[in-house]
Amino acid sequence: MIPELGSFAIILALIFALIQFSAGLLIKKIERAREFSVAAASGQFIFLAFAMLCLIISFLNNDMTVVYVREHSHALLPFIYRIGAAWGGHEGSVLLWCVILSGWTMAFIIFNRQHGQLNNYMVSILGFVSTGFLTFLLMTSNPFLRDFPSAPITGDDLTPVLQDPGLIFHPPMLYLGYVGFAIGFAFAIATLLLGKLDKSWARDCRPWIILPWSFLSCGIVLGSWWAYRELGWGGWWFWDPVENASLLPWLSATALIHTLIVCEKRNAFKGWAILLAIVTFSLSLLGTFLVRSGVLVSVHAFASDPTRGIFLLGYLALIIGGALLLYCGRIKHFYQAPEFEIFSRETFLLINGIFLLSAVATIVLGTLYPIILDALDYGKISVGEPYFNTVFVPIILPLLLLMGLAPHVHWGQQAIKPLWNKLRLDIFLSLALGFAGPLLFGFAFHWLAAIGISFSFWIMIATLHFFLRLQTKLDLKYSSMLVAHIGIAIIALGITVNKSYSEERQVKLFPGESVELAGYSFKLENISETKGINYQSLAAQFSIQHFTQKPYSLIAEQRIYSSHDQSLSKPGILANGWRDLYIALGAALPDGSWSVRIYYKPLVRWIWAGGFFLLIGGFLSLLYSWQSRRN
Amino acid sequence: MKTFRYLLPFIIFFSIIILLWRGLALHPNQIPSPLLNKSTPQYSLPNLFDANHPTTQKDLLGKVTLVNVWASWCPACAEEHEYLVQLAQEQNINFYGINYKDDSAAALKILKTAGNPYKIVAIDQSGNAAIDWGVYGAPETFIVDKKGIIRYKQIGPITPDIWDNKLKSIVNQLENEN
Repeated sequence: MIPELGSFAIILALIFALIQFSAGLLIKKIERAREFSVAAASGQFIFLAFAMLCLIISFLNNDMTVVYVREHSHALLPFIYRIGAAWGGHEGSVLLWCVILSGWTMAFIIFNRQHGQLNNYMVSILGFVSTGFLTFLLMTSNPFLRDFPSAPITGDDLTPVLQDPGLIFHPPMLYLGYVGFAIGFAFAIATLLLGKLDKSWARDCRPWIILPWSFLSCGIVLGSWWAYRELGWGGWWFWDPVENASLLPWLSATALIHTLIVCEKRNAFKGWAILLAIVTFSLSLLGTFLVRSGVLVSVHAFASDPTRGIFLLGYLALIIGGALLLYCGRIKHFYQAPEFEIFSRETFLLINGIFLLSAVATIVLGTLYPIILDALDYGKISVGEPYFNTVFVPIILPLLLLMGLAPHVHWGQQAIKPLWNKLRLDIFLSLALGFAGPLLFGFAFHWLAAIGISFSFWIMIATLHFFLRLQTKLDLKYSSMLVAHIGIAIIALGITVNKSYSEERQVKLFPGESVELAGYSFKLENISETKGINYQSLAAQFSIQHFTQKPYSLIAEQRIYSSHDQSLSKPGILANGWRDLYIALGAALPDGSWSVRIYYKPLVRWIWAGGFFLLIGGFLSLLYSWQSRRN
Repeated sequence: MKTFRYLLPFIIFFSIIILLWRGLALHPNQIPSPLLNKSTPQYSLPNLFDANHPTTQKDLLGKVTLVNVWASWCPACAEEHEYLVQLAQEQNINFYGINYKDDSAAALKILKTAGNPYKIVAIDQSGNAAIDWGVYGAPETFIVDKKGIIRYKQIGPITPDIWDNKLKSIVNQLENEN
């Protein structure tokens, strides 16, 4: 009964989405159109939330007559993972997509209190986006399809890698991020349709870009942390197509946030902002397509079905193609001759956007390159880390330089001499720290490391300098910039030190034997068999000693999940703020020894800590715009 | 000129769409079998139906055979099973099973409850024979001609659609060869 209710709720939601789409466009009276579309959006939200609830209940009950539940759950699957399993596969994640889109629409209706044609158009556009996805859900990916098997079935079980608390938070966080960019997209399209921009446009639009951007930052970081703990390769970023799909909209949204500042403060760059808003959501949709259609092979890819791919692609072509044609036709109305000198903050923010979009282009190229070659019949290849590191780093380094510099540059025009006088101390200090810092901590000298560390300190010092000079009392203004930029500096520092000074060893150990790495001695004490609810495990106990300090004990596991006949390495990680020690247990060798990989990873946690700075920075910015609106 | 500049995003986007559309028709997972038009690998495996007489590649000679790699733990195999039974009964198709990394008791139970399309089922408990056949996963089906040469490989379940449009004509054609 519950799955049927769920299916029915999706159908009702689709009808409401259609009403929401048509009301804003067809009803001429603004107030009446608003009432209509708000009612439709609310109805849609209620029924979608209800459908999600039905799916979660089906999982909690382990209703094996539902095909989707059978494929992603198991009689022995722990209760908590069953909630996450609701979006652990294709159908459920599409439903989650729709629920979140509808949730964002409701949030927009409630918190954006301006009433007018612009808002009606926006709600209507969001209705259109939702209509497409709900149709996709019903036609190709209904999670509530039933099938009554003749014999009782225990279920295929959730893939072991997904059996982790990360599954509960990571996908919703990520979706809150990239689905949220739909609002910015609706802003852009509605503006193009109306052919005019309000003065307050940029200010109204900004929170709706920053909030999803914060969630997306957090989602990316959670994903990276999850991969680090679960995959057993000791890496935190793999340039996997799905990871790239989440990074792309993040980069272009970052460009958009900075462009909106120029729109708001200087009334310039409006066309550029509109284009970036369209591009950001397009990249979200492109990411959804890449993940959902099976066009690329990836660790995340779900079973693919060609009709799904064709449907999504057609829908993409319609929405994005339509939006870009509209842009081409209408953008002339928004053109303005530039009113600033070459050396000014405007220029710097423009360069920032161009660099970020170049990063987007190189990642898109790397991600799609295997398809390009395959389409031209040049064979099957995969593009990996070497390409991305080679092209991405040279684009990001100048951006880091700009980050420290741009806040000090005046709007309109800036003379170079006073700027140099103001900042030369900062420059010398960061260079000194970058070149001498590693040596003080006992690391060897390394050119790339010195540059990376100098740049990170440059951002921190220059940003703090700007902030402290400006503040007479503690004020929220600029605090979001301070926190977010320092977050990026922390990430950059973490990545640099981690890439330059990580150490690893692959060794063969007999129980009782020990091995040295980075001043630590790792001793394999013993191996024992243990049993979890739905897996069996070989647990290797290590004791780790740093010189003569008290030894730590650490367990690395090798799990075999009974339902999948698949083994999963559960690494043992000993962490503090400065370094991680990471042990992955490999295979048992015939002579009774074990293959073991050991990593020493300095500052790896800083990468994720920086990500949470971004989240906080985003929230501070919202707090500030809320505060200034009340005054 | 200016209009062209504004049209640029659309043009870039449109070429990506064309590319992705082409990409959808490609199958990144489908790697052609290097064994096509070669003899079947040599093996000797226990026979599920007759414990005393192992089965070898010689059992495939003399008639067109569909060698179906399956297991009781594989949902996609269960999906095609009913149709295989139907093909065996109604069109007299000659199926030969390779029971892949499976529990023999569970395999026999499925054949008892859901019907048996196979003349012989070889038990490949270790999966070694499947490696020789170049199997990536279950189900996979090889069409082997009368001389024991692999002529086609189907990855994934056999559906009525795939049978009618692809496999049937290949089988018919091979039947007519000497």
